[in-house]
Amino acid sequence: MTKMTLKSVLLGATASVFLLAGLNVQARAEFPEKPVEMTVLFGGTAQTIGQLLADLMSKNMANSVVAVSRTGGGGAVGYSHVQSTPADGYNMVWNSNSVSTSHYRGNMKFNYEAFTPIARVSVETPALAVSADSGWKSLEDMAKAVKAGDSKLKVGISGNGSFTHLTSAALFDKMGIADKVVYVPYGKGKAPVELLAKRVDAAVQWPGQFIPHQQAGKLSILCVTGKDRIPQLKDTPSCAEAGATDLNITMWRGLAAPAGTPADVVAKLQDAAKAAIASDEFQSAADKIGFEASFLPADEFGSLIASDDAAISELMGKLGLKK
Amino acid sequence: MDAFASALGAVSDPFTLLAIVTGAIIGIVFGSVPGLTYSMALALVLPITFKFDTSAAVGMLLGTYIGGMTGGSVSAILLGIPGTPSAAATVLDGYKMTRNGRAGLALGGAVLASGFGGVFSLLVMIVSVDLVARLAIQFGPVEIFALVLFGLSTICGLAGKSLVRGMIAGVIGLLLMTIGLDDMDGVARMTFGWTPLLQGVDLLVAMVGLFAVPQIMKTLIDYKLDRAFRLNASGVRSELPTFRQLRNSFWLMFRCSALGTAVGSIPGTGGPIAAFLAYDHAKRFSKEPQRFGKGKLDGVMAPESANNAVTGGAMIPLLSLGIPGDPATAVMLGGFLIHGLVPGPMLFTTNKPEVYLIYLAIFVAYVTVVVFQYFGIRGFVKLLKVPPHLMAVGILIMCGVGTFAIRNSFLDVYMMVGVGLIGYLLMRARIPITPIILGLVLGPTLEREFRTAVIMSEGSFGVFFSSTTAVIFYALTIGVIGFHFYGQMRDAKKTRDAANSKKAQQQGAN
Repeated sequence: MTKMTLKSVLLGATASVFLLAGLNVQARAEFPEKPVEMTVLFGGTAQTIGQLLADLMSKNMANSVVAVSRTGGGGAVGYSHVQSTPADGYNMVWNSNSVSTSHYRGNMKFNYEAFTPIARVSVETPALAVSADSGWKSLEDMAKAVKAGDSKLKVGISGNGSFTHLTSAALFDKMGIADKVVYVPYGKGKAPVELLAKRVDAAVQWPGQFIPHQQAGKLSILCVTGKDRIPQLKDTPSCAEAGATDLNITMWRGLAAPAGTPADVVAKLQDAAKAAIASDEFQSAADKIGFEASFLPADEFGSLIASDDAAISELMGKLGLKK
Repeated sequence: MDAFASALGAVSDPFTLLAIVTGAIIGIVFGSVPGLTYSMALALVLPITFKFDTSAAVGMLLGTYIGGMTGGSVSAILLGIPGTPSAAATVLDGYKMTRNGRAGLALGGAVLASGFGGVFSLLVMIVSVDLVARLAIQFGPVEIFALVLFGLSTICGLAGKSLVRGMIAGVIGLLLMTIGLDDMDGVARMTFGWTPLLQGVDLLVAMVGLFAVPQIMKTLIDYKLDRAFRLNASGVRSELPTFRQLRNSFWLMFRCSALGTAVGSIPGTGGPIAAFLAYDHAKRFSKEPQRFGKGKLDGVMAPESANNAVTGGAMIPLLSLGIPGDPATAVMLGGFLIHGLVPGPMLFTTNKPEVYLIYLAIFVAYVTVVVFQYFGIRGFVKLLKVPPHLMAVGILIMCGVGTFAIRNSFLDVYMMVGVGLIGYLLMRARIPITPIILGLVLGPTLEREFRTAVIMSEGSFGVFFSSTTAVIFYALTIGVIGFHFYGQMRDAKKTRDAANSKKAQQQGAN
């Protein structure tokens, strides 16, 4: 009888272990049990969009998503922080192509493979603008004038090795005027003023910074660098249409977690992001701020990151920016 | 006029009013606690405004910005630790006034000057937004470089007795800011390959370290050695400047407000530069410059009117060109955009009611700030009754929390302590702290504009003399330095003459 009891105790214990294990699975299925931290790498509109996204994602999850700002080092500081956290889904990064540019500049030892993609959230397409007084109506006009003239074209960008720099370099390379360009790096948001004051001849920046000035007749936006036109500028050709054959450069923003984060957790975050992006609030914010809300699931996002990384690596190598 | 009426209707909506007032109070609190700034307050307030309608959202953001800019003076005056970088110049005389038992007068003067500067710049914005914006964009890299160089020349006035010590301090400040990722070329400087250091030295972290840590150490050491400074707090009243004092300072405030508005309207400059230039200006044109730095009310009112005038000035490029001048206005820009207000030249034709709304909201925010701070003085000065050594511990905790919260970095906390220890040693070596702050504030702008100018001219240095504005600033810079040496020589001669005549007298007596 005592033996029986022992046996049943053992049995019971085993059963309860299994039961606990089962509960554990269930607990994991109820991710998140505590708030999820979303590291934001930059200030300005990147921060605004990040905070809005975090707010909207919170509505679709058991716990909230909190946007935490870790700026500095062109994103390297925030990437390094998230990369060093446990791969349990409670830490993610509001990332962008900066994961590739930071790595190839030699500021981060790891590359995009240190992260598991969750979802692409938005796409922003740089635009090329010139002063309205320049008389250049198209990309071809500009290229012709630069080829014919003696002086170099001064182009305002956000910083050497920044995304707008790479975009401009690729664009002017296609137009055959790469050796007649001087890049003038400015801090955030200042290039349009310099263009208005005619201290530079052209600038490659985000369309939202140019559109109000085009409406006021001070600037002309010649083209956008993606392969398609963008909704805010239906009458502006893509650079590919305007003569820079096959040029297709856009900047994505999305979410990623440390490599090794369990697939079911990634799926939950991906679904929450998808719902947030589809919401009216996010769509209207996209219209107003001037970016395209564009969801892409984890796997497709992963292949996009990889192909863009290869392209950025090649471009930076060509420009001598790679370390 | 319809537009104005509808804006007036929107602002007088109780919820909007409440949003502006709440924003202003949050701003004052964040501004007045050392380590917390209005940039941070704005980042926290922003998500709340997503859910508001346009008028409440815009009102709350503006209220927070303005409250934060004004609140910085409270801790600068009471504790000798500026709450925001813009209030660093206020410490010089404000804290001395507190130690002389006139904290109430300093706080009262600061809040009146702040309100004056703010409303002045608001009026300038309303009357001449187009003109100022057009003038401001004429300030290119060369002109800004020259302006900042002129700003650095104020070290002469801040250095006290020894110009060499002042220069050492200024250079330390310039060097500290080169640490980290260089934005223009994307290369790491002085990080020794260590990624966390890429974030560089944050201005606020260094400032808190330099002002707060040495003072905390001194307080605690003094307490231990039983030679603590005792302030007779019962004698502190919320005393306002008299009408005569105000009348005497009116033109000074007027000039400093104009200066602040002008500096604020140039993107990439900002509050601290305006405040230091104003302080220097006040001292240079005062009838009793020797009393500056010893607790003169003008030394508080000048920088405070200038740094608040920066708010209106900074709104000019933000609204008319869509260009944020600093991180705080960049956050506001995001908030405006989300509510469909697209700053730029078209804003004034397409969104007239919203533009009036912004003007009215700024006005309401200033009224709130002045009323709240004025009636708060009585409460603020009670802080002085807390024994200094206990206060020191509280301040240390606040500084730790504040520096961490800037960008959620623990390295910043260590950095604050490290910079603070260096600051203490410098203090013992009688090297003044304020020029270090000046170097920190001006260094990055000076370097960036210099490099941009050289890149634009494709390597030719002649570009620095291509602009009349810039040449005027160089001349002013040389003038300030020359005047300083002339003054020193004259003083030295006077002392020598005095000694000689004394000798002669003695000889005569013999």
